[in-house]
Amino acid sequence: MKYLKRERNILLLVSMIVYIVLWAPVIVIVIFSFSNSKFGVRWEGFTLKWYYELFHNSDVGNALKRSLIIAFSAVIASSIMGTISAYGLYKFKFFAKKFLRTSVLLPIVMPYVVTGGSLLVYFTRFFKVPLGYPSIIIAHITFSVPLAVLVILGRMERINWECEEASYDLGANRFTTFIKITIPLLMPGILSAAMLVFPWSFDDFVITFFVAGIGSTTLPIYVFSQLRYGTTPVINAIGTIFTVVTLALIILQNLISNRKADNSG
Amino acid sequence: MDIKEYNTVIKTRRNAIFPFEIPLFLGPISLWIVLFVFGPLAITIIFSLLKSGEFGKIIPIFTLNNYYKILKPEYLRVFVRSFLYALSANIICLIIGYPVAYLAAKHGGRWKGMLILLIIIPSWTSYLIRLYALKTIIGNNGIINSILLNLHIIKQPMQMLYKPGAVIFGLVYSWIPFMILPIYSSLEGINPELYEASLDLGAKPLVTLFKVAIPLTKGGIFAGTILVFVPALGDWLVPHFLGGSKVMMIGNLVEYKFINVGNIPEGASLATLLAVVIILILYTLIKIGGEEALEKVV
Repeated sequence: MKYLKRERNILLLVSMIVYIVLWAPVIVIVIFSFSNSKFGVRWEGFTLKWYYELFHNSDVGNALKRSLIIAFSAVIASSIMGTISAYGLYKFKFFAKKFLRTSVLLPIVMPYVVTGGSLLVYFTRFFKVPLGYPSIIIAHITFSVPLAVLVILGRMERINWECEEASYDLGANRFTTFIKITIPLLMPGILSAAMLVFPWSFDDFVITFFVAGIGSTTLPIYVFSQLRYGTTPVINAIGTIFTVVTLALIILQNLISNRKADNSG
Repeated sequence: MDIKEYNTVIKTRRNAIFPFEIPLFLGPISLWIVLFVFGPLAITIIFSLLKSGEFGKIIPIFTLNNYYKILKPEYLRVFVRSFLYALSANIICLIIGYPVAYLAAKHGGRWKGMLILLIIIPSWTSYLIRLYALKTIIGNNGIINSILLNLHIIKQPMQMLYKPGAVIFGLVYSWIPFMILPIYSSLEGINPELYEASLDLGAKPLVTLFKVAIPLTKGGIFAGTILVFVPALGDWLVPHFLGGSKVMMIGNLVEYKFINVGNIPEGASLATLLAVVIILILYTLIKIGGEEALEKVV
């Protein structure tokens, strides 16, 4: 017992350091978003003026709108494509299945600079796609579909496939069964895929930076361009809102999954 | 229709996959992969073998010149440096990440979920802003230096930024959640009675750790290594913010060639080399770590 206690204390010590380091930047962002000083890290009294400035800054508003449009497109496309692809990969046996499965995962393991760079070259020199919304949305779908497929495949391992059989036995055809039985069964997986893809796409900087071209400033690109001149409290305010919104999303997701768990038993 | 006939009808309906079903479900993703994953990679490889002209032009003449260029010592140094940084970051992530996962899995009790959420939540806050905040914490006029100066522990601000240590620290900071999560999920698979058995047989905690926990979580460790080492090797933002030009990594070089210089063939050859290195590393890790590593990643 004595040993166990000491083990726990040592583990606690190491973990505390990791937790503190992980949270320190977030805490700094939140604190200094309320600081009256114009320079990032000096405390000169409490103010809300940076939030006021943020909400009246049309550049931020436009960038936010762009980021939201892109993230929602990526979420919708990757949910649909992720669901049908995961279903196909799970259900069917066919030639080259392993190859297809590996290829789906390829964009996840490629470094962002390689994906971004190769898409930029491809869009400008070969498969002409205008830089801006089209190129950014295609790029975001490309890296979010693999995530969606992975999450939904994970869900497929755990659902009760006999419901499908029961549906056939009761005379439903494959299409009806897929829409009325399979998709509702997969819904928690599809939702968690969307919850994963949304922040990923919303926060992506590197790939967007490569394929955005001129004038398509998303929120992370706006932040990057501002950071060139040093941090500003407005950037900290953006970071704080990010944190609050993500926290809200996580809590919401937990509430949904808890309710689901209660319903199912 | 008698029961026998009925059963055959059901059976065929159940097992019949219409010939158009596979393309219906898997056609879109296959097309997408060919168009936007293989296509760009193929074009990158092809362009890496072409001559570069002025003003970012590409001259369609076959050459291996780009590869000779990037095999020069100054480029190779960047490759070796990136490899060493990613390796160091990975080892540090493993050494300090394992205890975190171990604490949550073994001693977490009902706080388990909370402890893991506390690891994940910061990584969902804007990455750019967090990296910049990190910079303001360890910078010359940063928080750590001002605290130490005010406490008269140091007389002059310590130079921490723009050094290898800062880049490795940044890489650890960015990627450690991806080491902790797969190890945690591996540890969760261990039957707690094994710890008790090991304790009853007189093993001290360290022995239990090395003889029971670590061998059983090999898959998680390999998965974590894949998820940390690979992205760290190609990272661009961490060295961009915390490193400066002296401790450039390969990602910076790729970005520099593609965006700043616009020399696409050279950028393409660097990107190709990086992609090949990463695929080789992945292949080796999966071969050594076995299928279990891959499953944990998935």
